[in-house]
Amino acid sequence: MSYDEKTNGQMDAIIARYPRSRSAIMPMLHLIQSRDGFVTPTGIEFISEKLGLTTAEVYAVATFYSQYKRKPVGEYHVGVCTNTLCAVMGGDAIFAGLKDHLGVGNDEVTNDGKISVEHIECNAACDYAPVVMVNWEFFDNQTVESAKTLVDDLRSGKNPAPTRGANKVSTFKETSELLAGFNDGHAEEGVQAGPATLLGLKIAKEMGAQL
Amino acid sequence: MTTVDSGRTESAVTPITPIAPVEQINLIIDGFEVTVPKGTLVIRAAEQLGIQIPRFCDHPLLAPVGACRQCLVDIEINGRAFPKPQASCTIPVENGMIVKTQLTSEVAQKAQEGVMELLLVNHPLDCPVCDKGGECPLQNQAMSTGQSESRFEGTKRKFEKPVNISSQVLLDRERCILCARCTRFSEEIAGDAFISLNERGALQQVGIYEKDPFESYFSGNTVQICPVGALTGSAYRFRSRPFDLVSTPSVCEHCASGCSLRTDVRRNKTLRRLAGDDSNVNEEWNCDKGRWAFQYTMAKDRIANPLIRENGQLREASWPEALAAAAAGLKDKRTGVLVGGRSTVEDAYGYAKFARVALNTNDIDFRSRPHSQEETDFLAAHVVGSKVNYQDIDTADHVVLVGFEPEEESPIIFLRIRKQVQKRALEVTAVTPYLSRGFKKLNAKAVLTTPGQEATALNGLSLTSKSIIISGERLAELAGGLSAVVKLANKSGAKIAWVPRRAGERGAIEVGAIGNLLPGGRPVSDATARVDLAAAWGVDSLPAEIGKNADQILAAANAGQLEALVIGGVDPFDMQQPPVNALEKTFIVSLEMRPSAITEFADVIFPIAAVTEKSGSFMSWAGTSRSFEKAAPDAEHRSDAYVLSILSDAMGTPINLTGSKAAAKEIAAVGSWDGARATFTATQAKNLHEGVILATWRHLLDNGSLQANEPNLAGTARKNLARVSAKFANELGVKNGDLVTVSTDRGSLALPIEVSEILDGVIWLPRNGVGAESLRILGALNGDGVRVRKGI
Ligand code: SF4
Ligand code: SF4
Ligand code: FES
Ligand code: FES
Repeated sequence: MSYDEKTNGQMDAIIARYPRSRSAIMPMLHLIQSRDGFVTPTGIEFISEKLGLTTAEVYAVATFYSQYKRKPVGEYHVGVCTNTLCAVMGGDAIFAGLKDHLGVGNDEVTNDGKISVEHIECNAACDYAPVVMVNWEFFDNQTVESAKTLVDDLRSGKNPAPTRGANKVSTFKETSELLAGFNDGHAEEGVQAGPATLLGLKIAKEMGAQL
Repeated sequence: MTTVDSGRTESAVTPITPIAPVEQINLIIDGFEVTVPKGTLVIRAAEQLGIQIPRFCDHPLLAPVGACRQCLVDIEINGRAFPKPQASCTIPVENGMIVKTQLTSEVAQKAQEGVMELLLVNHPLDCPVCDKGGECPLQNQAMSTGQSESRFEGTKRKFEKPVNISSQVLLDRERCILCARCTRFSEEIAGDAFISLNERGALQQVGIYEKDPFESYFSGNTVQICPVGALTGSAYRFRSRPFDLVSTPSVCEHCASGCSLRTDVRRNKTLRRLAGDDSNVNEEWNCDKGRWAFQYTMAKDRIANPLIRENGQLREASWPEALAAAAAGLKDKRTGVLVGGRSTVEDAYGYAKFARVALNTNDIDFRSRPHSQEETDFLAAHVVGSKVNYQDIDTADHVVLVGFEPEEESPIIFLRIRKQVQKRALEVTAVTPYLSRGFKKLNAKAVLTTPGQEATALNGLSLTSKSIIISGERLAELAGGLSAVVKLANKSGAKIAWVPRRAGERGAIEVGAIGNLLPGGRPVSDATARVDLAAAWGVDSLPAEIGKNADQILAAANAGQLEALVIGGVDPFDMQQPPVNALEKTFIVSLEMRPSAITEFADVIFPIAAVTEKSGSFMSWAGTSRSFEKAAPDAEHRSDAYVLSILSDAMGTPINLTGSKAAAKEIAAVGSWDGARATFTATQAKNLHEGVILATWRHLLDNGSLQANEPNLAGTARKNLARVSAKFANELGVKNGDLVTVSTDRGSLALPIEVSEILDGVIWLPRNGVGAESLRILGALNGDGVRVRKGI
C-alpha cells in the first residue's frame, strides 16, 4: 500500500485544508482516481490509514457517489445526460447511439481503453440540452451524429474543444487531479455562461430592468 | 421464571432520568397534557402517556437519526402547524406544542401507513423462515400500522443471501429496512465502524469493506437491536421460534462487568442469550462472549455421575459411595482448598465454610492465577466491602487505568468509560506499556510504562477526590503496583476500584474464600471477628492461623505439608507454575463440570451444575450483587455449595447448606464485619529484569474453557501477534508479519509481529491465545525477562 512521494505530498496538502481531517475523504478519493484510474482497494486502505478511519467508513463514501468508479473507465469518460429535459431533446437517442456505435454497455469501456459511456443525471445545463460531458467538460446541443463524431475524434487522438469552459479535454486521470483541488491552469479559459443562459438577462435588460 | 419480550423495540415506556434539575416543558399529545424535561423527544414524551408511536430506527441509547420515517406525527406550535408530518423521534418537545399521533390525526395515520407500505415494497415475505418472526418489530407494526393487502405488483429487490459479515453475524440484505441502528451502534457505542451503509438509492445496503470483517467484540448487539431479521447470529439462525423459548433473566458468568442477560431455553437446552436491560450496569448492551459463549454448558463430555479413582483408573460411582470415599480421603488430613475465580457467591461461601468447619483450616484461595502477598493485603484493606460503581464513572473527573485494558478485560466498563469520553470528554489516563486500540478508542492519554515501573508512573499523576483509579488483577504481578495505587489514592482522595477478570473473584473475597478473610470481610487475624462468626455458624471456634495463598498451598502440598486438596473450577495452567507435582502427591477431591487438567489427577470427582442450572449470584467489580434464577428448569446437577454440604455431612462436620438459596440466606444473616479493616503495608517495586521485558494480558476471546465449542465466536478473536516498537523491530531486523521467537527457560513461542505503540525493549504477547498460550508455554508474567530472536 504505497504511493509515490508526489502523491503523498498532495494527500497531506489535501488533509491540511480541513479543520477535521475526515473532511478530506472526497478530494482524496479523486486523487486516488487520478493515480489508479479508479478507486482501488489500495486507495481505500491508504485513505483509511491516513485519516484514521475504518475501511468501511471510506468504502461507504466511495460507493455513495457515482463519480467514484470502482472499475477502470476509459481515458475519456463520456457522460450522456438522460434526465428529463435532455432525454426528450435527444439524450436517450444519443445514449443508445453511442452504445451501439462503440459496442459497449452503460459504464463499460471500449477495448482500446479509450472511451467509456455512462448515462448521467442533470448537469444543470438544461438550457443546452441535450448535453454530453467528457470527463466533466461540456459539449452542448448534441445530436446522435455529433456525439459519434466526438467519440471518434477522441479515439483518434484529436482533441475536440469543449463548448464552454476549458479549451481542451483532459484525460480522466488529469481531471481527477483537478477535482482533488489541484489547479491544472485551465480555470480561466472559455465562458461559463453561454448565450442561452444569458438570454433572459439580455431580454430583461432590453426591457429596461434595473439590474 | 418470567418471559420477557424481545429486545426493547416494542416496549412502550422508557424511563426518563433527568441528571440535574432541568427546565420542564408542557405540551399536549393527542389531547393529553404532559410535562417532560427539556430536550425530550416527542416520541419519548408520548411514551410517558402510554402512547406508542410506531418506530424502527429510533433507539433511546443511540443518537436520533430519522432514517426510517415510520414515526411521523402532526405537530403544531403556538398555532403554527408544520406543513407536513414530522418524525417524532428527531424533534424535541417545546412549550405549547400540540402533537397529534396516528390516534388522533388522519394525516399522521395515513403518513405512517404510507411509509409502512413503502418499507414492505422491498421486504420479502420471509417471516415463516426468519429468526425474527414472532418477535419482529416490522411484523408487529405491519399488523398495527400496515394494510392487510399489498398493492405492489412489481418484482421485489433481491440480493444473494446471506452474507457472512463475520463468522458469527449473517446479513440478509433484502430484509434490511435501512434504519441504520446497526451502523450507528457500531460507531457510536462500540467505536467499531466496521459496518456501513454502502451504495445509494435502491441499491443501498449494509455491508463491510470486503477485507475487514465485522470483528467487533460487541457485534451481537446489532443482531439484538436490528428491528427486522436482517442480522442474525450464526449460532441461533434457524434454531428456534421465540414462542418456543422460556426466558429467564440471568447474569453473565464470564467477567466481572456483571451484565444482566436473558437466557432463552427450549427443552432444557440454552439456545441463546441476549443482553438484559439494566441502566445501572450494562444499559442494554453486552459483549459477544457473554452472548455467545454458552455451549460449554451443554458439552457432550459433561461429567454426569461421581467418579472415583481405583487402581489408577476413574470409574463411575454412586453418590453415597463417592461421598464416603471423599470423606475417608479427607478425614484428618491437612487439606487446602482452591476455589477458582468462577464460582457464584453462594458456592464460594460453601467452599469458605467447608474449609473452616469441615477442614479446620484457613488454607483457601480463589486465585487460580498469578497473585502476591501485596495483593492479599490490598484486597483485605481496600477491596472487601468497598463500592465504586458505574455511576462513579459517570461523574468522575479523571479515570486512571493501570494493569487493566478494559475492552479486553471487562468490556462493559470499557463501554461505560467510552460513553463518558464521547459525551463530556472524560479524561482517561492509561498506565500501560502498550497503547492498544481499546485505549485509543477511549482517547486515553498514555503513560507508557515498563512493566514493573507503575509506581513511578502513578506517583507522577495528580488526581482529585472525583477521580477513580481502576486497577486490574494483573497489577498483582508487578510488585509495588498496588502499593502505588494506594499511595496515589491516599494523597489525592481518589477512589480505588479493582477489577478482576473472572466473574466470581470479587464475591469470593466478600465471602472469605481467601486465607486472610472470613465471610463478610472479617479479618482472620481479629479474634473478635472469629468469635462473632463461630457464634453465627454454631461452632466452638474457628482456625486462627492466617491461611496460605494458592501458591503456598501448592508448595506445601508439594513439600508434603498438605496431604489433600479440594479443588473446584481451577485451570492449573492459569497459574505461573502448573502444580503437577503437588497434584500427583495429594488426595484430590474435585468438583467439576467437564474433564480438566485437575480431574486427571483427582481421586474423587463430583459433577456440579453450570450457571444456567442453578440459582445464585455474582458480585460485579463494583461490589454489587447480581442474582439470577435457574434457567434450565429440569437440570439435575447440583451446586458446589450443596455438594460440599453433603460431603461435610459424610465427614461428620456439617456445614448445612442445602443449596444456593440457603447459602444466600445464610450469607445475609452472617452479615458483614463493621470492625476495623486490615491495614495495608506498602511493598517496594523490584529491580527490572534483564533482557526484553514481557507485557501480557488476555484477549477477551481466547482459549478460555468457558468458550469451548463455539467456533463462530472464536472466529472473531483477535489475531495472535507479538507487539514490538518500530525501533525494536528494526533492531531485530523484522517487519510486520515476520516471525519472532520468544523464549524462557521453560519454553518458546513463535508469533508474527506487529509494530505497535509500545515501549522499546518491551514485547507484548497474548496470554492465552489459541495456539499462543504464552503463560502456559513460557511461564512468564508481566515484568519478567524473556529472550527474543528473529525467525523460528
Ligand atoms: S441490518 Fe437491521 S439494524 Fe442494520 S440497517 Fe438494516 S434493518 Fe437496520
Ligand atoms: S462484558 Fe463481561 S459480564 Fe458483560 S457479557 Fe461480556 S463477559 Fe459477560
Ligand atoms: S436534464 Fe440534462 S442537463 Fe439538465
Ligand atoms: S423512528 Fe423516527 S424516523 Fe425512524
